[in-house]
Amino acid sequence: MWGRATAAAIPGFLLSAGVTGLACWLLPGPWQSTLVAGIVAFFAVWIAVMALAFQCRNGKRAWAWLGGGAAVSLATLWLLQTLQWVR
Amino acid sequence: MKLKSNTLRTFTSVHTWVGLVAGFALFVAFYAGAITVFHHDLQAWQTPHAAQSAEQGLADAQRLLDETLARHPRAREHVGMVFPGGEYPQAASYWQDANGQWRYATLDNLDGGDKMPGGALSELVNELHYTVGIPVAGRYLMGIISLLYGLALISGLVIHLPKLADDLFALRPGRNLKRFWQDAHNVIGVLSLPMHLMFAVTGALLSLAMVVLLALNPLAYRGELMTALGPAMDTAPASSAAGRALPMGSLAMLHARAIEVARAQGLASFEPAYFKLAHAGDANATIEISGESPGSLGPVGAVALNANTGAVLATQLPGSRDANHATLASAYALHFGEYGNAWVQVLYFVLGIGGAFLFYSGNLLWVESRRKRRQAEQGRAQLGMARATVGVCIGVCVAISMAFIATQLAQWPALRIGGDIEVTIRIACFVSWALCALWAALRPPVRAAQELLWAAAITTAMVPLAHGVVTGAWPWLTAMQGQWSLFSIDAGALAMAFGFGWLARATARRARDGEPNSVWADPRARAAQAAASLVTD
Repeated sequence: MWGRATAAAIPGFLLSAGVTGLACWLLPGPWQSTLVAGIVAFFAVWIAVMALAFQCRNGKRAWAWLGGGAAVSLATLWLLQTLQWVR
Repeated sequence: MKLKSNTLRTFTSVHTWVGLVAGFALFVAFYAGAITVFHHDLQAWQTPHAAQSAEQGLADAQRLLDETLARHPRAREHVGMVFPGGEYPQAASYWQDANGQWRYATLDNLDGGDKMPGGALSELVNELHYTVGIPVAGRYLMGIISLLYGLALISGLVIHLPKLADDLFALRPGRNLKRFWQDAHNVIGVLSLPMHLMFAVTGALLSLAMVVLLALNPLAYRGELMTALGPAMDTAPASSAAGRALPMGSLAMLHARAIEVARAQGLASFEPAYFKLAHAGDANATIEISGESPGSLGPVGAVALNANTGAVLATQLPGSRDANHATLASAYALHFGEYGNAWVQVLYFVLGIGGAFLFYSGNLLWVESRRKRRQAEQGRAQLGMARATVGVCIGVCVAISMAFIATQLAQWPALRIGGDIEVTIRIACFVSWALCALWAALRPPVRAAQELLWAAAITTAMVPLAHGVVTGAWPWLTAMQGQWSLFSIDAGALAMAFGFGWLARATARRARDGEPNSVWADPRARAAQAAASLVTD
């Protein structure tokens, strides 16, 4: 249980940041205009991601899935931002 | 829908543990929050003779503003003020001193104090709502509790989902009391789920937004968040002082201008509630006047004006604001029930009390499902949980009613209670809460539960009594005079008192007639009844 709980808290937080960030930056218009909606959505997304962590069979898998997802989403976001494909 | 038994097991234990960890804090938050819904009415209730005394007007606000600006140079940079009338009977100004501490001034206290005047009771109840009474860390703790609460809701839904269609409206009273409680817990949880999810998200938002934004800044916003935050939250564009003195326009003119601008944007009404003034006395002075336009979701909007000429700088009003301001205003309004008419508030109150019941019943279910059926002596965990539930949950109900009573008595000239009213009601609240917890720790749980429920019933029934004795505003008089703010608080207290009495009797029945061998069974009551029935036979 502890493995999945820590996965929910740590990589879960990063994954939620990546997912919310991608949504806010990929939506049309400047990212500033989705600032408040983004932070509201972030909490809803994080709660859902925490529930997902407990869907995993054990802590190791939860860390792997959420950690992998966090790395991919944050890297994609960073790449898009650096290439200025989103604003 | 079929779930793997493994998933079901995991989510059941997530639900249990998260519920246990967060349940106590959530009970306090919901009980105090249900009362906070009526904080406008509470403002009138806690101020003696508020209804009779003359309300201050814009001229008084102007006088306070002039004095504040003259006496406190720091306030010239940024000062805020609530308009008198409506929620606050008297005007109050506030600003940050050189150390970043907030200072508050009124016409009675022009030098300024460090507390917002006139709202000791509603402030205490609100503080219990969002900090559980823990200073500083309580706010962040409640943010984390909100997240756990969201998790408890989802896991509760998942474990209930397979049987949802069959069980939703099944409320099975009868011999199996635990089944009945389980049904009640489920039906309240599922039917009010959308509201609970909304509270989980907005509750986390209101207490953790700043911390999370700081963490998200480097992750998702390339470190540019701080410059974007001002335009997203404020209406007035950021400006710096020109360094050229210019006399400010009158508050009456700016007040009228704000209403005029809102009318021109098609809003039938706009009632200015408070303003933020920057660079007072400078050529670049700006004022942001916020107010309510009833009838819209997110009724609070704002008009930013040049404080010298009254020229419009920007507006964020219902119906014509950007996504950031619309989301913020709706999230706020959804959390506090500040939209629609008075029935929305009544609904929020009922759902809030229902939510408190959800956490109380959750704890009872935990205790009952670990009941040792074959022995009278119950385990230490069950005993401890029962004591804590009774002491914390019923204790806070007693404590809040004590704070209500103390608010009235502290202002009763006949008693000559001097000193700071805020300190007095805090002592009344936290000392009675501690005593209740102590009582629950020392007595058998089932007796403590009955005794504290009766204590809650009696103290809550004394709330309208104290109000009537001290101010003469008895419920029948306030009803006849149409002072519904005062009446609704007293009537609500009486209704709650009956509720506590009913629960006390139900607990006594459980102790006497319910299944034996539980922390809620009382062998003495059982024996007494058996003896009584022998006599009558």
